[in-house]
Amino acid sequence: MTSTNQDLVKLTIDGVPVEVPKGTLLVEAAKTVKQEIPVYCYHTKLGPAGLCRVCLVEIEGTPKLQIACNTPVAEGMVVHTASEKAHAGRGMVLELLLVNHPLDCPICDKGGECDLQDYAMAYGRGNSDVADPKLSKPKGVDLGPTIVLDEERCVVCQRCVRFDDIIADERQLIVKDRGHNDIIATATGAPYRHHFTGNVTEICPVGALTSKTYRFKSRPWDLRRTQTTCTQCPVGCQQFSDVRHGTVLRTMSVEHDDRYSDSWLCDRGRYNIGFYTSPERITQPLYRRDSSFVQIGWDDAFTLWARAIKGAAGNAGAIGGGRLLNEEALLLQQVFRAIGVRNLDWRGGRQQQASPGARGGDYAALERANVIAVAGASSPAELAPVMWLRVLKAKRAGAQILHLSATGAAATLARIDSGSRVAIVWDGVDLELGKILADAAGRLDAVTYIASEQPNARGAEAMGMLPIDGGMDAGLMFDAGRNGKLAALSLFGVNPLRNAGDVDLVRAALNTTPFVMVSELFMTQTAQLATLVLPAKGAFEKSGTTINVTGDLLPVNASLEAPVGPLSDLEMLIGLAQQFDLTLPTVEELDAAVITRAQHAFAGSFGDALYHSGATRAHALEPRTLWDGGGTSAHDDHVRSVLHA
Amino acid sequence: MPVTKVLTAGIGEANLRDINVYRERGGYKQWERAVRELTPQNVLEACDKSGLRGRGGAGFPTGRKWSFLPKDVYPRYLVCNCDEAEPGTFKDHMLLEETPHLVLEGILLGAYGINCHHAYIYIRGEFKRGYEIFMQALAEARAAGLVGKNLFGKGFDLEVTVHRGAGAYICGEETALLNSLEGKRGEPRLKPPFPAVAGLYGMPTVVNNVETLAYLVPILERGPEWFAAVGTERSKGYKIISISGHVQKPGNYEVPLGTPVRELIEIAGGLRPGRKLMAVQPGGGSSAAIFEEHLDYPYDYESMAKAGSMLGSGAFTVFDDTTDFVKAALNMVRFYAHESCGQCTPCREGGHWLERVLHRFVESRGLSSDLDMIRRVGHEITGINLCPLGDSIEPFLLSVFNRFPDQFEARILKEPLPA
Repeated sequence: MTSTNQDLVKLTIDGVPVEVPKGTLLVEAAKTVKQEIPVYCYHTKLGPAGLCRVCLVEIEGTPKLQIACNTPVAEGMVVHTASEKAHAGRGMVLELLLVNHPLDCPICDKGGECDLQDYAMAYGRGNSDVADPKLSKPKGVDLGPTIVLDEERCVVCQRCVRFDDIIADERQLIVKDRGHNDIIATATGAPYRHHFTGNVTEICPVGALTSKTYRFKSRPWDLRRTQTTCTQCPVGCQQFSDVRHGTVLRTMSVEHDDRYSDSWLCDRGRYNIGFYTSPERITQPLYRRDSSFVQIGWDDAFTLWARAIKGAAGNAGAIGGGRLLNEEALLLQQVFRAIGVRNLDWRGGRQQQASPGARGGDYAALERANVIAVAGASSPAELAPVMWLRVLKAKRAGAQILHLSATGAAATLARIDSGSRVAIVWDGVDLELGKILADAAGRLDAVTYIASEQPNARGAEAMGMLPIDGGMDAGLMFDAGRNGKLAALSLFGVNPLRNAGDVDLVRAALNTTPFVMVSELFMTQTAQLATLVLPAKGAFEKSGTTINVTGDLLPVNASLEAPVGPLSDLEMLIGLAQQFDLTLPTVEELDAAVITRAQHAFAGSFGDALYHSGATRAHALEPRTLWDGGGTSAHDDHVRSVLHA
Repeated sequence: MPVTKVLTAGIGEANLRDINVYRERGGYKQWERAVRELTPQNVLEACDKSGLRGRGGAGFPTGRKWSFLPKDVYPRYLVCNCDEAEPGTFKDHMLLEETPHLVLEGILLGAYGINCHHAYIYIRGEFKRGYEIFMQALAEARAAGLVGKNLFGKGFDLEVTVHRGAGAYICGEETALLNSLEGKRGEPRLKPPFPAVAGLYGMPTVVNNVETLAYLVPILERGPEWFAAVGTERSKGYKIISISGHVQKPGNYEVPLGTPVRELIEIAGGLRPGRKLMAVQPGGGSSAAIFEEHLDYPYDYESMAKAGSMLGSGAFTVFDDTTDFVKAALNMVRFYAHESCGQCTPCREGGHWLERVLHRFVESRGLSSDLDMIRRVGHEITGINLCPLGDSIEPFLLSVFNRFPDQFEARILKEPLPA
């Protein structure tokens, strides 16, 4: 026998012989024979708690029913998950759970996707022996900014409490009081508030914890579900967008998304979805006349925009990409290059670098680290929240978390044992700090990560949204703009007036530059100083790809119809390209180019000279157009239909 | 009469709270001898050989419990369970208040037996007097060089920490006790892992009852054979029985295990004149009632199990013919429903449900359908709980429900409930 075989345990579940690794819990082992064992308190990511007692199974040779969630497999074990005895035991537990559970399913948000409903149907009795009134507990408890709690519906599985402790490392939620009086509450009575609160509504097996944004909004069967990649930060969480009547009502995590989200979402990714239907949204191109904006049509907008760029005669620039999809960033770069603009950059904010280079790791490697050094002014917990959960997971497994200051980084890193499994997380802002980190990373053989402030910074970088052939980077462009040396500036999904390191410089540049185009969903600080504002589509309204922190190319799938008016940045770029009579790529050509570029890994490290302002650009120039073939373009047709609708 | 004075020797005769009195009577000699002359292994072997079983309720062989500790994993802890809260039990706090040095010496010997350097005693919150007395005793012992560093110059360190609970019955369950001791919510832990592997602060831990540890002193003094010679085949030695209920002289009586049930009632002065025995609850609130046909059963672990009940902590409650068993059953069920930590479903929901139904019976508002429900639910919530508390709701209830069905049937509502 090989060692692998020795680590496997043979047992029989419902008559089917199975072999699973030693230590596997019965509840997981049963899944190998496609047998679902009902659970409330057990959760794959939280482990067993042994509280609800609904996962009872019969094990031959053991007189009492056993809980599958905390019983590890044993050699020769014979398990019956669906025997009459197991069924009766579960039936009793269900009957007990329903003694005080309100039968308000018709008005409960969980109705239709409720584990209590499902298992009551499977195991419960049709009638009830309960002759006494049900217990009355607080309903509609305002737990915090995001969550409402119905104590009567709670089955005290403590998943929320354990999530708050084990996963979020917050320990705000507790069980209060005792016995049948116990309720869920925050320990201090303060509002329940942190980056990950919404997850408790998903792991709640009943309708006790509900999101304020989704309460009484819909039935699950009325929702149209689309799986996509969250684009609110660079983590790359897979999520479901659930849409009804043209409105995204909620987003949900994707089970088994172990590679990216680990099945959790942050509150930003979950709740920051209301803006799509905001009345504040820009729906028509706006052109500045003196001190106010007038609404204009798309044809005029493209004409004005193209005229300004033509008039600038190469003295134009474009900034954007970190908030665009890869296809848009690539087309942005290619179109501007084709019309003779070399001043391109994605870095409209503070961040200067996106790809960590050759030492970049995946989340599994981050989780395995036993020393995690966090460097930079911005916390990864803010920039990439769900990635921070991996750090907390490593911490729980015993990893040491070091918060490096810019001045003390070298000294702190020097003290790390060379035998450690080190991960370094940086915000990509201070390149000098980046070099110090890169030195340490080399010495310690560390895996490295850049938690970006822009969700697709890595994609923008990979798609080549960087200065071309001696062109200016964002900082130099703003500098030139302030000095009246820039004639036209196009800004795509960036708000430098809020996010740049030097906002005074940006303001001066925007005020002085004769023509500033801003593509945006809302009138941001930057848009208010624009000459031309183009209404853009949001991430749920367009399809494409994005590249996350770990360098993976991930799909973004449209789940919403955009309102009439806004175009995607891709469609805007196609409109602009038409003004210059450029040949556009087909969808297939664009996709192939994105994939090629995404696969081309940056081989450098943190703080490489490539990223220093004013330094020689090491980029080999791309051919003038990527697509020589001409041919018909699906995008072209699509845009034409939009423009002339 | 089989009443013997081993742990109870001197109580009521001498001021055993005074360390000098205790020492004059031979106190702390075994502790000194253990540290000076014996190895921890010697103490463990003596404990094992004596046949001593846990006096807190479960009756698990103490020596075997100690032997489950993984070798060479340190620190490890001994925790003395003085959270005595089983209905009908009142022996541990008597020992704590009357002979605190004996309790302490037992803890010291137990700690030495498992080779640990930090022992804890978890004292039920209500035992304020006992706590104060024990603190005084501990201070005296420390001043006398019996607790602390480098004891008797032999290089053995042993610290004892006293922790007061807050009065929750569930904290007498060893893992709930450990949670409470760590400052967490007092609720039982999921097992495995067991405390012997991962107990207090995640380290190997033995939790022993006060009486169990106290018996280590006479066992070392007189030898394990002396202890093992008393009692029955598998229930060795002596036991303090807390006799209460309808007897003329309720109190704590120390007897050899195996003393017949009938004799225990006689020891406690017998029934009141003219009264008839109806039932005995032989092992605390968690035990099923036994009846007159069991009067000649020896009071030991095996015989009580054979009678359908258990010896438990040795709380022996007698019920005569003045008892309203519906009220008695409600009283017990209400206790468990009130003390349920609420973690697991059967205990949290089942206990409360039964309590409400029984409450209606006491008010003569029972329903005939409730009779089936009591039998069915009582039976089915047993054996599927996270800890033994949930399994303790049913035994007394069903034993008296089955024995005295007429008392329950008499409380059924004649008219149907208004809709």
